[in-house]
Amino acid sequence: MEASNVPALRQQGAVTAPSAGPKSGEYLTFRLGSEEYGIDILKVQEIRSYEAPTRIANAPDFIKGVVNLRGVIVPIVDLRLKLGCPSAEYNSFTVVIVLNVKNRVVGAVVDSVSDVLELSRDAIKPAPELSTSSVDTSFITGIGSVADRMLILMDIEGLMSSAEMGLMDAAVAA
Amino acid sequence: MGDMTTEGASISAGIDLSQFYQVFFEEAGENLDNMEQLLLNVNVEAADDEELNAIFRCAHSIKGGAATFGFSDVAELTHQMETLLDKLRRHELQPNAAMVDVLLQSGDALRAQLGRHQGSGAAPVDTTELLTRIKAFVEGGAAPAAAAPAPAPVSAPAPAPAAVTTGTRLLELQVGPLADMSLADNLVELFKEITDLGTIEPLDAGQGSDGMRRFKVLTSSTDNDLLDLFTFHVAREQVKLMPLGPGFGFHEGAPGAPPAEPPSNDPGYGFFDNAPGVPAGVAPAVEAEVKPAAAIVPARPATPAKTEAKPAGGGMDQTTLRVSIEKVDQLINLVGELVITQAMLAQNSRELDPALYQQLTSGLADLERNTRDLQESVMSIRMIPMSTVFNRFPRMLRDLAAKLGKKVELVTQGEATELDKSLVEKITDPLTHLVRNSCDHGIEMPEDRLARGKPEQGTITLVASHQGGSIVIEVRDDGRGLNRDKLIKKAREKGIDAPDTMTDAECWNLIFAPGFSTADVVTDVSGRGVGMDVVKKNITSLGGTVEIDSAEGYGMKVSVRLPLTLAIMDGMSVGVGDECYILPLSSVVESFQVQADTIKTVAGSGRVVEVRDEYMPVIEMEKVFDVPRFDFEHVSSIMVVVEAEGGRVALLVDELLGQQQVVVKNLEANYRKVNDVSGATIMGDGRVALILDVGSLVRRSRH
Repeated sequence: MEASNVPALRQQGAVTAPSAGPKSGEYLTFRLGSEEYGIDILKVQEIRSYEAPTRIANAPDFIKGVVNLRGVIVPIVDLRLKLGCPSAEYNSFTVVIVLNVKNRVVGAVVDSVSDVLELSRDAIKPAPELSTSSVDTSFITGIGSVADRMLILMDIEGLMSSAEMGLMDAAVAA
Repeated sequence: MGDMTTEGASISAGIDLSQFYQVFFEEAGENLDNMEQLLLNVNVEAADDEELNAIFRCAHSIKGGAATFGFSDVAELTHQMETLLDKLRRHELQPNAAMVDVLLQSGDALRAQLGRHQGSGAAPVDTTELLTRIKAFVEGGAAPAAAAPAPAPVSAPAPAPAAVTTGTRLLELQVGPLADMSLADNLVELFKEITDLGTIEPLDAGQGSDGMRRFKVLTSSTDNDLLDLFTFHVAREQVKLMPLGPGFGFHEGAPGAPPAEPPSNDPGYGFFDNAPGVPAGVAPAVEAEVKPAAAIVPARPATPAKTEAKPAGGGMDQTTLRVSIEKVDQLINLVGELVITQAMLAQNSRELDPALYQQLTSGLADLERNTRDLQESVMSIRMIPMSTVFNRFPRMLRDLAAKLGKKVELVTQGEATELDKSLVEKITDPLTHLVRNSCDHGIEMPEDRLARGKPEQGTITLVASHQGGSIVIEVRDDGRGLNRDKLIKKAREKGIDAPDTMTDAECWNLIFAPGFSTADVVTDVSGRGVGMDVVKKNITSLGGTVEIDSAEGYGMKVSVRLPLTLAIMDGMSVGVGDECYILPLSSVVESFQVQADTIKTVAGSGRVVEVRDEYMPVIEMEKVFDVPRFDFEHVSSIMVVVEAEGGRVALLVDELLGQQQVVVKNLEANYRKVNDVSGATIMGDGRVALILDVGSLVRRSRH
């Protein structure tokens, strides 16, 4: 992963690359531990409270299992585990953001959902180049600053369909 | 046509008929399907009255509807079919295979006509030939194509006129002069009361200027009978019966026909006016009193208003309703939501004191039961039985076998196997290909079969079943099977690498190569080699597989295995730790309790259990699925023996939870393939349970 991260980060870090940079628009913000993230609101289908999923044997630990969402079987990914948060507790505040990416439905577990923010292009700063990190940062597209809050803007579609996520068979993710 | 649409015309004055078109088309389609089914079942040697009546009713309903909506071509063809069918059901004609053929073809033509009216843009259907053939049968079975027994020979002079009841005749009935015109209306009532008599309708506006009333009568009764009946209302002298004119053009000027006599001189029998084909030698023998050989009067021009007797909406007891699939899916999802809500309510009410909240708890219990029932019913909507696919084959095979000069019997098993509608639609074409192939290439000619000591009639068997998380559809025939040497030779001609060391299975798979055909002669049925590779491609695109098994001289079996996308399956739920898994009930052989010491190890690791002198590999579910344990002292002691792909394994589980129908959901839709799991389902409480892939578990034990 390390090798492929570097060029990806460079490209996204460059302000002059308009297609790779984050768009201005509405972002859904949520908390993972002490960090605050923002994702494109258009990828969000709904927000639900956490319910214990059906475990899938031999799946990576961040895939909690599958739940029934009105007749549709939806895999649940715990973003806190995926993004290396120190603790991942399940309490009454734990919520699942149901995402619609690449015509698939995926649930993402987060600590809490904050609000929906309108970010102008000025408010979005390029992502810093993080050199060595165990956390996968290639899907961080920028930093949004609103008042004194710092939002980590994430390409949730890219993250969810990435090979290492193992959520989709290779043919679909491509 | 004008007189047939009387009812339609009166309706259309006030209502826009087009809003009922769809209903008519659907109803007509159902009637056609029904009729075809019945026709195929007719035993021509001993036709069942009830069957013939049922076929007649189908044709009649279509005709009524078509006339109402003004589809004159449909109405005309069905009318002719009805005439023939009417004769059959009255035993005036003996049914034969040629008639059934004509009726089946007419059914096809009707379908095409209806399709055209529905806007398929097809060219108008030419039914002239069909009409001619039907008419030929109606006139006495003397169809040019088929030497049918003709119980009412055209040329028979019928010396005993009173006995002549053959055929439906179209007559003009003149009544009058009457003092009271309403007396004639009694005759109309008479026809209504005696349904077998035929139909009657006024030819004039109900009021003749000369005090005469004229009616058009379609009947199969003799003139004498009619006159006898009429005397209840009108004096016999006032009634005149004569064949109705304009329809008999096709024998006009027949040689030997005597010159026309003025009807007024003849007491009502203006029979020779048009001389409908009575041979010259016979005509003079005709005496007055009753018209002989009534059967020769073709009913072709008749356009009786049967719609009045039985209204066009004959299909009011329609048994199906067409609903768009999105609505059904929405319903399924909503019910799913309801089930979850209900489960939540049940959970929350558990702590309540039943003594205090008796009504609430009983209400919740009702809710639970109703929700379950509702879910079950809704789930079953999308499922349609395989019989909808299988049912199209008897007809196809019948035609095909006749064309090829072969005798083929079709046997179907497992028609009740339910399959998601979308899947059913997609496998129809590949299956049709396979059945045609079997009939064309597989089944030998009757004489060849006899020479080989096989029954003259070949058998093609279609079997559908659930197996190991798949649906398996087999097409078997007892024909000549595949010839290994021929296949290899052909393959080499095509430049395919085919070593002699190929296994049989590899060899059979050669027929899936594009452009590969083993037929010596290309027929219009098959043999062009575009078949099997397309079949394979279609089935693969559905995520299925095709396997071939063959024994030369004994037949061939093609198994199509399709994954379950949304099939309903009978499942057995088993508990392991806190988790619940579903086993396809079809693969469960037995279950029993074991003592720990009956499980033995082989080579230190592999575990086996002895079941009735047979050692079976044991698969511990908690290890395969890595089930977390909280009570470490627990020892699983229930064995479930499952069977798949010819092998058996014993699954070690904690408990058996129950049996239920489950709807198989695809995990791959939003996730990916999971080992040893064929799909998932939603349990009554809204939770997801994984369905085990028994085939994969059996394979696991082999390694």
